[in-house]
Amino acid sequence: MSVSNLLENWSKFRHTHPVEDKGHPDWEAYPSDIKWAMAIDLDACTGCNACSVACYAENNLPVVGKEKYSHGQAMHWMRIERYWDESESGFEVDQGARFLPMMCQQCEAAPCETVCPVGATNHTEDGLNSQIYNRCIGSRYCSANCPYKVRYFNWYDYPTTKDVWPSPMNEQLNPDLSVRSKGVMEKCTFCKQRTYVARNNAKTEGRPVQDGDVQTACQEACPAGAITFGNLYDPESKVAQKWQHQQVELTKEKQDKDKTEGNRLRGYRILEELRPYPSVMYLERVRESAV
Amino acid sequence: MSQRYLLALYNNFDEAEAVVKELRTADIKGFNAANDMVVKSPIEHPEVEEFIGNKPVYVQWFTLLGASLGGFLAFWLISGSQANFYAQMKGGKPIVPFPPNFVLTYEMFILGGVYITVLGFLILSGLPARRSPLYSAKVSEDQIGVLVKGDEGSVPKLREIFTKHKALEIQEEAGR
Amino acid sequence: MGKDIREDIAWAQINKDVLKSLESPRKAYWVILLVALLVFGVGVGCEVYQYNMGMGVANLDNPHVWGLYIASFIFWIGMSHSGTLLSAILHLMHADWRKPIYRFAEAMTTFSLLTAALFVAVHLGRVWQIYYALPYPNERWAWPNFQSPLLWDAMAVFTYLSSSMIFLYVGMIPDLAICRDNIHQGWRKKVYTILALGWEGTDRQWRNFRMTYLTVACFLIPLAVSVHSIVAGDFAMSQQPGWHVTSFPPYFVAGALYSGCAAIISLFVILRYVFRFEEYMTLPILKKIVRLTFAIAMVWTYLNCIEFASVWYSHDEAAKGVLIQKAIGPYAPFWWAMIFCGSVVPFAMMVKKWQTNIPIMFAVSLLLNLGMFLERWMIVSPTFSHGIYPWTFDHDQWPSMVQWGMVFGSFGWFTLLFLVFCKVFPSVSMYEVKEMVYHRSLQSKKEAAGEELAVKGAN
Repeated sequence: MSVSNLLENWSKFRHTHPVEDKGHPDWEAYPSDIKWAMAIDLDACTGCNACSVACYAENNLPVVGKEKYSHGQAMHWMRIERYWDESESGFEVDQGARFLPMMCQQCEAAPCETVCPVGATNHTEDGLNSQIYNRCIGSRYCSANCPYKVRYFNWYDYPTTKDVWPSPMNEQLNPDLSVRSKGVMEKCTFCKQRTYVARNNAKTEGRPVQDGDVQTACQEACPAGAITFGNLYDPESKVAQKWQHQQVELTKEKQDKDKTEGNRLRGYRILEELRPYPSVMYLERVRESAV
Repeated sequence: MSQRYLLALYNNFDEAEAVVKELRTADIKGFNAANDMVVKSPIEHPEVEEFIGNKPVYVQWFTLLGASLGGFLAFWLISGSQANFYAQMKGGKPIVPFPPNFVLTYEMFILGGVYITVLGFLILSGLPARRSPLYSAKVSEDQIGVLVKGDEGSVPKLREIFTKHKALEIQEEAGR
Repeated sequence: MGKDIREDIAWAQINKDVLKSLESPRKAYWVILLVALLVFGVGVGCEVYQYNMGMGVANLDNPHVWGLYIASFIFWIGMSHSGTLLSAILHLMHADWRKPIYRFAEAMTTFSLLTAALFVAVHLGRVWQIYYALPYPNERWAWPNFQSPLLWDAMAVFTYLSSSMIFLYVGMIPDLAICRDNIHQGWRKKVYTILALGWEGTDRQWRNFRMTYLTVACFLIPLAVSVHSIVAGDFAMSQQPGWHVTSFPPYFVAGALYSGCAAIISLFVILRYVFRFEEYMTLPILKKIVRLTFAIAMVWTYLNCIEFASVWYSHDEAAKGVLIQKAIGPYAPFWWAMIFCGSVVPFAMMVKKWQTNIPIMFAVSLLLNLGMFLERWMIVSPTFSHGIYPWTFDHDQWPSMVQWGMVFGSFGWFTLLFLVFCKVFPSVSMYEVKEMVYHRSLQSKKEAAGEELAVKGAN
């Protein structure tokens, strides 16, 4: 059976992604018309951390406390990175920090997926990088190979740890997703529990998913509206329009616009040159000095 | 006619060689040098193979079989399981990617080769075996044994040849 | 310099000497065994604690997710390679001086692989689910991910472990027969009888034995090379700066042979003393291993320089950053210690007088192994502390006592297994030492005869 399946679908099994199947993937493992993507406008970001807090609340992230945080064992799926301008006298504080909200970039060709020994992390049909907690054995190779270091490991059994969710905080845990126990890797899912509800609702109503059907927790919480989220394959969606306007193409590791000098477009993807094809576009006139 | 076993022990390979050569040329009724003679030695001694007559070794065919089966099975099983497991892409790589499968095929090639070679060794050298009717611990120490099997009538002649070449000790036992 | 081994040593004497090691080692044996047991106990305690508390007690963090466990894994895998070098490569090259020492080197291969396998388990966040990584058929048709270098590792280590165990066993069958013939009471008699499989040294058995041994040796050489190349692949296949280096596989293989040879020198000295093997593990043989080790040390040094050079002259700023951090960052003392132990200390082996000086060579071999342990650590950790993404630079991580305890404990585990093996099974190959003595005495007889002829001819 496996052999006949192998022979029948040979050319499909030898297909690469996203370079060979540009745009819509062309075979049954990818039946979906959805490719979730994001655009984050850093010029609008004020670094208020609301997105991070919202993420903690939405995704049952354990609050590890000061000591473990300083050990680097924090679980912030959505983190706000601060960068300071550097001058000869040291860091320039006058101008303030530049902020960068960083979460899993949901790479189309994710470095973490290939290295998992048990296949606990896969590319899903709606263009996400999934993490199967039940399957994870905690080898942490995915994190080792992640260029953005956005994967977080459960170093302790947080649900049973004191003061992670002190009563009555445990009452507000989100029932739509699990509370992870020790020894598994986790990361941003683009609020999978929400996107699935949106897809199911649309299916029930017999219509495609529309722009605005679903918002991620961080997007919802952002007071500046810096985060745009939606279906990249829907040309009407805001996120697709932003990507198009910024001339950032999902399947390219070098954008054509960067070849033309003096373009004023602000869109870029982080560490594009490593060819993970991330699904998050950032918008900012890049200041070399601030990185 | 009942069979008898004779084991003669010798001090060194030269004496054993002389005996074996004589036994091979001697025409003794009820004794066939090609089948009924075994040389037991404490060390591996390639010259034994020369003077006892050419006997082929077939271990390498087991090796060939094991290695090719191992490699072939590895590639098919791995590709087959990849073609059924989720059929979900990982890292944008093909679902049946060649480089990793070749690595694993290579390992299984060696695994199959080693396992089946050793299996072949056990089969071809008749191990594990019951101890033969005549065995002396001296053989595992420093003496070379020549074990022969012959009809009762051939025993005196065999003994004579053994003694002629200064056998240290001759044991005799009825065959089974 | 004297001969590798006394040529007039009687075969019966060889049996007697080696069999004695199974019965009455020096008191030091029991002391070392006890210490090893205690050391292993420390490791077990640490693992029990970590198992119950979670991996956090190892003081790993995000993104510094790997630490000493992976470093020790590579270290122990590496150590195993020299057993194969001695037993397979030198076998094919007909270097017969390996014969008195290859058995314990092969045992070292097996046991250091077993130790390395422990670290795989210790390292996992959910070790109780470790069987997910095995390709076992199941109802859900869920298989491991065959693309993962970790899975190649598992496969390669399994192949290597089982093949080298088989190789060790097959090579030991004639010796087990000797034990069977000479030890007459107790459970040992039964064990030897079963394991010897009824070996009698017949011409048929020897004939097939020779072919089998040769074939398996031929398989083991590429296998050993592939195992450490694949371990190197864990790093080289990733995208991280400092790991993504093409020259890693040969570099790892050279490092493996290097640390293995150093370990062989240490164990050589210990066994020689503990089991009174002065007749067999002779100083001329020590000298040969020392020279071999020095050659491998230079290969390793060369590959090390190649790696630095290729990083330095590349345009990969991140990789260059890691290299600079290694030299001047928080890991600098260890990195420089590695360079010192790995590339400077081996020059002590150039001094002719020291080559056969047991205390000096013992100390040198320990230093070399220290250097090689540091090397593995310096491969794993600096990349995490100073990776590709500046915001996640993590210079403060330091392994906790739990990690160090486990590393410490692994040495106890290895020593324990190794010493028990040497007490139960002959750690010097009796039949092969006989072969060596036999062929060498024949050779010198021939030479003597040749000289006589020459003298006559001159007259």
